[in-house]
Amino acid sequence: MRTGKNPSKTGVPAYSPKQLGMALLVYIPFMEGYFRQSLDILKYQIASIHHHTNQEIDLLLFDNGSCSEVVDELIKLYNAQKIDWLVFSQHNLGKVGAWNWIFGSMPNQLICYADSDVFFRQGWLNSSLEIIQAFPNIGMVSAQPTFHDVLDGKGKAHLFLEGDQNFRFSKYRPKGEIVDEYCQGIGADDELSASFHDMDLPYITDLQSNTNAVVGATHMQFIIPKEVARQVIPLPVSKALHRSETTTLDRKIDELGYLHLSTQKNYVMHMGNTINEKLLSEMREIDGSLKLEENPEKMILSKRSVMFRLALRLGRKPSINNFFLRIYDFLYRVLYVENQ
Amino acid sequence: MRDGQNPAKSIDHVPRPEKITVAIATYIPYLKGYYAESLEVLKLSLGSLWESTRLPYDLLVFDNHSCHEVQDYLLNAYERGLIQYLLLSDKNVGKGGAWNFIFQSSPGEVIAYSDSDIYFSPGWLEQSLKILETFPNPGMVTSRPLRSPEEYYSKTLEWAERQEGVKVEQGRFIPWEVFLEHILSLGVSEEQAREWYESKQEWRLTYKGVSAFASAAHFQFVTNKSVIQQFLPLEMDRPMGQVRSLDKLINQAGYLRLTTCEPYVKHLGNKIESKTGDKDHLSLPEKSIQNNRFWDLPLIKRSLLNVHDLIFKLYYQRRN
Repeated sequence: MRTGKNPSKTGVPAYSPKQLGMALLVYIPFMEGYFRQSLDILKYQIASIHHHTNQEIDLLLFDNGSCSEVVDELIKLYNAQKIDWLVFSQHNLGKVGAWNWIFGSMPNQLICYADSDVFFRQGWLNSSLEIIQAFPNIGMVSAQPTFHDVLDGKGKAHLFLEGDQNFRFSKYRPKGEIVDEYCQGIGADDELSASFHDMDLPYITDLQSNTNAVVGATHMQFIIPKEVARQVIPLPVSKALHRSETTTLDRKIDELGYLHLSTQKNYVMHMGNTINEKLLSEMREIDGSLKLEENPEKMILSKRSVMFRLALRLGRKPSINNFFLRIYDFLYRVLYVENQ
Repeated sequence: MRDGQNPAKSIDHVPRPEKITVAIATYIPYLKGYYAESLEVLKLSLGSLWESTRLPYDLLVFDNHSCHEVQDYLLNAYERGLIQYLLLSDKNVGKGGAWNFIFQSSPGEVIAYSDSDIYFSPGWLEQSLKILETFPNPGMVTSRPLRSPEEYYSKTLEWAERQEGVKVEQGRFIPWEVFLEHILSLGVSEEQAREWYESKQEWRLTYKGVSAFASAAHFQFVTNKSVIQQFLPLEMDRPMGQVRSLDKLINQAGYLRLTTCEPYVKHLGNKIESKTGDKDHLSLPEKSIQNNRFWDLPLIKRSLLNVHDLIFKLYYQRRN
């Protein structure tokens, strides 16, 4: 039975959300193989957010069924007040399933989504906000120029600005280091990298504020206004991570007449799943308590090892190569994919 | 940089959430004073839920910045697979803020919301769903008979009067013991309860063979997500004390507010009475996660994982 008066009813104000809520999606099912360095990379990401975001934010982290080591670390980060809202899901709902959750529930006026392997640099927020303030009908704004058009040239939302005298359409070629960083982030081969280096990106200038924005945005990281986020959900979901499903977000946003835009400079970096010297050098500029002595080379097999040479030799035979890769996928599915 | 192929890209399906999400909001900032027994109350509440709920459901718990003891208990329950979605908030966003999170994010089509001080008896969900699925335009169905101010269910009565096939009865249908049990749980004296009991009556509505009382309460109710989402976001700037706005909104919009005719839930408050519930509920049930597959045996799993890791190193890592 109730005894006494609940102190919460004394009129103390409830927490009021910040203008910007950031949501990170984490899925690290084990600490080996592809995910060996993923937890450290996530820690770097959180440190970069806190160090390079010049306004107060609410940080939500959605854990999509990670292993217990990761859960334990997330609880430590939460207890250290590095995370404001920590969501644990027993099941992997997929990237789109997590979006449905994040876009539906975050109370902030602006929602910044990022995968759990994105490094944020100084200026990322101001540059994004400049675009948000300069352009009408904002849908998604990424803090990195977009090289890959997920709408395959079929996007229409930006066309309404073409006849507007306040805006000018142009093209530019990003600096080589920006392209290199993008290619490294996605693990592009030489041929693909060359095509990106030869690519001119379309951009729009708001002539009143002289603000430039590249046409297009990336799923890896973007800011979406809450009212747009609420309009696009629920997004259909059946797979964990598949382009055919993630692009439904872009199609819906474009169909609703909202713009995909991004900055001309790379204010965020895709870290991927491997720590390299470039990342370490940027991390060393952050005054955090993170230990950076991790040797990025330690996980790579020595070129002189028998195993490495044997692997190279076997890998030349497509049938054997495919066989081992099928085992790789099979073991992952047996060990970590839930039965329906 | 990205090395290799993210194995998650090979997953061609993700689990579908259950149709029903049972959602519970917790707020126990410390274990003294008013909250001295609140953790025990929470354990009793969740224990009764796990034992008394037979229909498939996902359990979502929103913790509104409770103390470490409560957080540890919830995390333990999560790690045992007893909670499917656990949301920890470092800020107390108030009950309205918690509701906004819960009602927006619950993955089920049906949401069964409850405060963290409710005891569940077998049949609570089935009986509530029977009403939810029989009556048209249901807004809230509470799993015990109780009285609430008529202004919060006026549209339910209006519907009953104009709808063909509805039997409308007015009378004192709630047994005195059932009425008293709830009123005492609110910290009200028996004398006051007697006065209230004798001063008013209930409306019993029977439609397509299913009976329900016109009334509902926001401390525990079952609703359709598509309905509750229409009222979001709820603007509440205080942690508590503004919760009746949801009752008003649902009534004003013409959705029905109903209760079961039998008591299937009980408000525990902040103190456990000696006669309430089974003390076994205070300890967490055995691990519910399926862990009996051959490849989940630790030694087997570790060996298979090592093979997986080796293939990743051999075939995916950069060789420069």
